Amino acid sequence: MSESTDASGKNGTARVAVVAAGVISPLGFGLGETLDSLRAARDCVTAVTRFSVAQCRCKTAGQVPDERLLAERRKCARPQRFHRAAHMMIRALAEALRQDAKFKPELTVIGTTSGGMSYGEDYFRSLHLHGDLRRSPTWIANYPAQKPVVDALDTFGIRAPCQVIANACASGTNAIGHAFECVRSGRYERVLSGGYDALSELVFVGFDSLQASTPEKCRPFDRDRTGMVLGEGAAILALENLDTARARGAPVLAEITGYGISTDNFHFTQPNPSGSGPRQAMEHALQSAHLSAHTVDYINAHGTATPFNDAAEGKAIGELFGRGVPVGSTKSMMGHSLGAAGAVEAIVCLLALQHQFLPPNINFHAPDEDADLNIVANESRPASLRTVLSNSFGFGGTNASLVMQKFEA
Amino acid sequence: MSLAIAGMGWITPLGGGVDAVWERLLQGDEAHAEKITEKFDDQAYTVFRVPDSALASLAPHPRLRRASLISRFAAAAGLAALEEAGVKLDPRNAERVALVFAISNGGVIYTKRFYRDIVESGAQSASPLFFPETVFNAPASHLAAILGITGATYTLVGDGAVGLLAIRMAEDLMANGALDYCLVVGAEEVDWLLCDAYHKWRLLRLEPPVEPFNEVARGMILSEGAGAVLLAREGLIKIESTHAGGYYRKRDEAEDVLKRILCDLIEAESGFVIASANGTFIDEAECRAISQVVPGAIVYTAKPALGESVGAGGLWQVIVGGQALRQGELPPLLHVTSKIPLRISASGSAAATARGAIVLSCGLNQQIAGLCLGMDP
Repeated sequence: MSESTDASGKNGTARVAVVAAGVISPLGFGLGETLDSLRAARDCVTAVTRFSVAQCRCKTAGQVPDERLLAERRKCARPQRFHRAAHMMIRALAEALRQDAKFKPELTVIGTTSGGMSYGEDYFRSLHLHGDLRRSPTWIANYPAQKPVVDALDTFGIRAPCQVIANACASGTNAIGHAFECVRSGRYERVLSGGYDALSELVFVGFDSLQASTPEKCRPFDRDRTGMVLGEGAAILALENLDTARARGAPVLAEITGYGISTDNFHFTQPNPSGSGPRQAMEHALQSAHLSAHTVDYINAHGTATPFNDAAEGKAIGELFGRGVPVGSTKSMMGHSLGAAGAVEAIVCLLALQHQFLPPNINFHAPDEDADLNIVANESRPASLRTVLSNSFGFGGTNASLVMQKFEA
Repeated sequence: MSLAIAGMGWITPLGGGVDAVWERLLQGDEAHAEKITEKFDDQAYTVFRVPDSALASLAPHPRLRRASLISRFAAAAGLAALEEAGVKLDPRNAERVALVFAISNGGVIYTKRFYRDIVESGAQSASPLFFPETVFNAPASHLAAILGITGATYTLVGDGAVGLLAIRMAEDLMANGALDYCLVVGAEEVDWLLCDAYHKWRLLRLEPPVEPFNEVARGMILSEGAGAVLLAREGLIKIESTHAGGYYRKRDEAEDVLKRILCDLIEAESGFVIASANGTFIDEAECRAISQVVPGAIVYTAKPALGESVGAGGLWQVIVGGQALRQGELPPLLHVTSKIPLRISASGSAAATARGAIVLSCGLNQQIAGLCLGMDP
């Protein structure tokens, strides 16, 4: 496709393949480690070390260890200037490109919520406390949300333009969903998609101030859940028109077949208790995939473990799918990585489809009587999976759902 | 599929209302410069602020009660674009409308306040009222709630090119026949902290004027406001083509990326170029690219008059381009003090014969985008 179009886009029906993927999260560096952690139901939430949490209720998060992240950074121009979010993006992109070095995207669509926020914090703190501002040009230039994406693309010589979606916690799923629609419409053949976010003090304290994060374990859909824990990470999915992917012999890891988005105007930080927003997004995703609810074999829920989110999402899932479908939130294992979450969880779904298992929802002790769900409690399970659905919901009432299917030629 | 502008809304330092601001631009007016200070630093900066009168007609709404200025600007501009198009949203048609929001710095006023409390007094003093407004998609969410939009809402974040990238994204969304309209809004608010950051980045000028295309890049003046365009299948001003954009790795690569984008866009008849020149290093790149690829086009930038509003800037440029095509006239380009190889818009520049315009946005942080507007004879 030409980079310049004549606005003659069409409602396409192209099949969309995932031809490569890469991930870095508290679960591990890469697909293999992530798979191992999921199968082992590993709790990867640890005490926060990046900044002081002495005055916070919550003291834990899912964290990507710096020693390893920075030790593995690629040789690139002035890597010490890059924000650690950029290093995470580079790591995830490197893994994807190792699988398919010939993937040349025409567009990049990436989700984030806070970009290089910690550089903004460094700048403000130094300014306000009259500290050392010698690094301020670096902090300022590398703070903007698109910078880690551009840094990662540039590291691999990719010149595709980038769209950076900041739809709060749904950003990653929105990015993959929009990329999917771009390929499906026939306007693009190859789009790089994903999400990233790095832990920052401002965001951590923000969720703590709302009392959305918990001083206890993260227990999605549990009767005694008390809130979320934050996380961080990055994930990349390379999407391509299935026909062109097969024509060039690219690997097909899975298909994305549906995407739904809705906006819930009930309240800025709380979902409508009726679950109407999540339900609308899931319904749209199923319609987009031309599937009915009973064909879904697993739902990777948004499942933050906040009382409001899980109640609304659980209600919507129960009404739409009944009790049969296995449901789990892998945020219980790695925390909520915000703009990365949808992309990391799409990778979880991809691994589940490839390796035919149900990822666990750990720390689950007692079912919530108000949400009659079939939770994948505490241990992963072998399963025959053909169709999975992944949910992400965020501040501002933004809801997104993605349908992925096992590739069958 | 054809794509057109059905309505436009404008909140700027020269006031609100497309026609009113346009008249002032034609007269060669520039915004009133205002000093802003910060209690923990002695440095003062000059900005172009939106006058209170520009928001006078914005009706109260529960979502705007505690919202930051950026959300108010966005709401006023978005509502104005719908009003100009004569489109009234109700629950039946609202789901056939998407919202794409362009933003760069976001709700910086509340973000600074929230983090300042943490730095000064610790995490326990952080206000749960401020935190939600620090989120990039807060203004889009408020606008969606005010309009009753329940379908697709996206916030796109980037540098000064983000407004045009948002229109490109809207075009991608409109490829879906289930949508009748896409409202594209860009907004920004100014704060001392932003000025200081851009100053330390050596991109800010402490006093007006903004001198575009000057031999010496003396810097820009930050401004605030919002721009909105309602995209539809039909309308007087056509979106002839959009460009997916590109990015430059180093500043000296910007010219080549601009040339490539211009070359892709000039298939359409382009009488003039609405440039993004703002007194910084991007001016030289734009000047060279335009003079080599479209040497005959008249060039105009509104940034000496309106300032650099980053996230809103691209939408403002599109409105300028659309209005110039509609009115057959271009405002005079202010404060060009160097001899440059461009046909600049002089006082009373006629654009009456122009059937097309290129809008070009070169951001300060590596992103570049462009699009082409057209009008039927």
